Amino acid sequence: MNLKSLFRHEMLLAILLAIVLVILSFQSDKFFTVSNLLNQGRLMTETGLIAIAMTFIIATGGIDLSVGSILGLTAILTGVFWQNVGLPLPLAAAAAIAVGTFAGFVNGIIITRFRVPPLIATLATLALYRGLAEGISQARSVRGYPEWFYVLGQGNVLGVPTQLWLLLIAAVVASIILGYTRWGRTVYAIGNNEVAARFSGLSVERTKVALYTASGFAAAVAAVIFVSRVSTTRSDMGTGIELDAITAVVLGGTSIFGGRGTIAGTIIGLCLIQALKNGLSLAGVKGDGTIMLIGAVLILAILVSNLFERSGTR
Amino acid sequence: MTEPFVVLKDISKSFVGVKVLKDVSFDVRPGEVHALLGENGAGKSTLIKVLSGLYQPDGGKIIIGGEEKKFASTRDATANGIATVYQELLLFPELSVAENVFLGHYPRTSSGIIDWTTVRSRTRELLDSLDTYDLDVDSKVLTLSVAQRQRVEIAKALSRDAKILIMDEPTASLVESDVQRLMSIVRQLRERGVGIIYVSHRMPEIFALADRVTVLRDGAFVATKDIHEVTEKDLVSLMVGRSIESLFPKVEVPIGETVLAVKNLNHGRHVQDISFELRKGEILGVAGLVGSGRTELALTLFGMTPATSGEIKLNGKPVRIASPIHARDLGIAYVPEDRGLQGLVKPMAIRQNITMATIDKVSKGIFIKAAEEMKHAVAAVKRLGVRCRDVNQPVGQLSGGNQQKVVIAKWLETAPQVLILDEPTRGVDVGAKSEIHSIMGELVRQGVAILMISSELPEVLGMSDRVLVMSAGRITDVIARAEATPERVGAAMTAHKSAEAA
Repeated sequence: MNLKSLFRHEMLLAILLAIVLVILSFQSDKFFTVSNLLNQGRLMTETGLIAIAMTFIIATGGIDLSVGSILGLTAILTGVFWQNVGLPLPLAAAAAIAVGTFAGFVNGIIITRFRVPPLIATLATLALYRGLAEGISQARSVRGYPEWFYVLGQGNVLGVPTQLWLLLIAAVVASIILGYTRWGRTVYAIGNNEVAARFSGLSVERTKVALYTASGFAAAVAAVIFVSRVSTTRSDMGTGIELDAITAVVLGGTSIFGGRGTIAGTIIGLCLIQALKNGLSLAGVKGDGTIMLIGAVLILAILVSNLFERSGTR
Repeated sequence: MTEPFVVLKDISKSFVGVKVLKDVSFDVRPGEVHALLGENGAGKSTLIKVLSGLYQPDGGKIIIGGEEKKFASTRDATANGIATVYQELLLFPELSVAENVFLGHYPRTSSGIIDWTTVRSRTRELLDSLDTYDLDVDSKVLTLSVAQRQRVEIAKALSRDAKILIMDEPTASLVESDVQRLMSIVRQLRERGVGIIYVSHRMPEIFALADRVTVLRDGAFVATKDIHEVTEKDLVSLMVGRSIESLFPKVEVPIGETVLAVKNLNHGRHVQDISFELRKGEILGVAGLVGSGRTELALTLFGMTPATSGEIKLNGKPVRIASPIHARDLGIAYVPEDRGLQGLVKPMAIRQNITMATIDKVSKGIFIKAAEEMKHAVAAVKRLGVRCRDVNQPVGQLSGGNQQKVVIAKWLETAPQVLILDEPTRGVDVGAKSEIHSIMGELVRQGVAILMISSELPEVLGMSDRVLVMSAGRITDVIARAEATPERVGAAMTAHKSAEAA
């Protein structure tokens, strides 16, 4: 029953995506070109990585609002470790990613050990991590990275943007974990009934800490890709990316109350949002307009999934 | 004999192709208590919902005062004098008693403003007529006890001149003294000529109150009898469709060596200085009033609230139980009191629930072996006789008894040495209850030691080898089966034992 209704949701979403693609390709002849599509893929990788981790978190009934700030912090640290501390760039990036991952771990500890609701905990760290990033950067940006570094964010492998391969691998691994392992099972159990999960001897706390840590890691990797893509480091990077990621997840059929959701759904949701954004910008709509659209899509997604829930259960 | 006020004739109702009511006929006369009996899933609730206008029947007639009626909504039913007091009380906690009673039909003054003086005085009259002099019409409902709220619900029904009052398991969440009071209110309403449909699992109440009783089974009408014509045993066999030999099939097995030994165990106020031994093949019943610390003791043994001091020995070896994971690995299983909240993940499949505590055992590395899991689930469902479509069905769709069997199945997968059952048959119908009791018999035969907490005294006395009685967080008596009488257990339940006397 449950599985079937999920499947329906994803099918519907995929059909919707196809319709949007067709409409957009009629609207502008620049849209449905291989180079544009690949470029869109490049643009959505950072949000995608974060959304994949976010799918797990939302499926447990939690949320991580701090991902944008972790992204910003990691980006700044990559620059600072490389330019100011003088580490070799790969080492600097790895160290920055380690800090970003640790930031996620701290979220997990605040949520499980001190029992702060995820919404409040990550809202607080959203401010905290962004503040740290700004304090460290002192409003200076870091530029002049070596040429080879841009392969990650601007280059291609086998004709496909480098980071898109990463996203693909992450998506495949994540859907296997969520669908076929005991970790995935634990995630769904926590999301549906955390008390019963605990009474069944599942490691609820440890799982949650692991998920928020993974979310920090995803945001941190996204940060390095981001830096490589735009060739510069600024402290306001990733502001608002949590909105895009959460929208993709919820649009993809993951219940905001936990217990339901798939990676495939999230990826389709992600593509849908990116297609809409691209379509709008090709039609000449400015950035403010796209943010409004994402807000509207988010509300619509929740309305539709509520509708499904009502017709699906009885 | 008076004419029935309400007649339901050949009512049928289906949900997504499943017939839950098959041509059921039922009637209620003014001034009678008509008990409605049946196992969970027999169709009682559906029938009640048809009569109260919540569901529209697919076939059949509702005749009121000789006229055929169609109820499109609960409003129509209320207008025809039918009121319902649901199991989960539907009052507004933030509003006052008087506001709740007249909600939706406030008396108004000539200028159209709500006439609060009349609202309050009429509420007072209604409550007084229910012998409820102690309830203030201005108190907020959230400050009231369950029993008081129920009386407010009844007053609400009377404020609309209900001719027929439907009561769905009204005593399910009441303590004994409140049950007595409710029963006298029901009798009083009967005197006034109100017809009462009384749904309950509790036989003593039915025999004390009802004039007639109707039994449903699997959505079909079985019989309507005068209460004088039947015995408790007759009713049970009508409900389950076969005769049940004994309500508590105690299996005599040789008691083995001590498995669990607890000494001076403490946790907070509710577990104080607890010492006892539990042996192989033994069922140790735990009796006590609500709040006596029975469940808290179980939670401490299960590692949910680890002991602050004291000693636990398992097979003679001292152990520390710091978490449910710990307890599970030591072979201690706990079937919790609140099935829906603590026992099951209702939206997930039976299969997933059964393997939830043993997910490592059906996995290779991190991967769940789907075939292995399926095998375990199918075997468990068969062993415990869980009635379901298949093991992929969400647990939430099962009846209470079958849900309970799934929780038990989950813990039997861990092959426990010590099984703690907390209210194993609460909210479970008669048939499933006797099945759960025979499962317990089967387990002790295999040498499992069972600690059974129950509020139902006949169950404790009928199933246990020894009875441990708790009061105010302490053990007040340990009674061997032969000496366990309701009087002795009852006395120990209310005894207060001070730390000095212990």
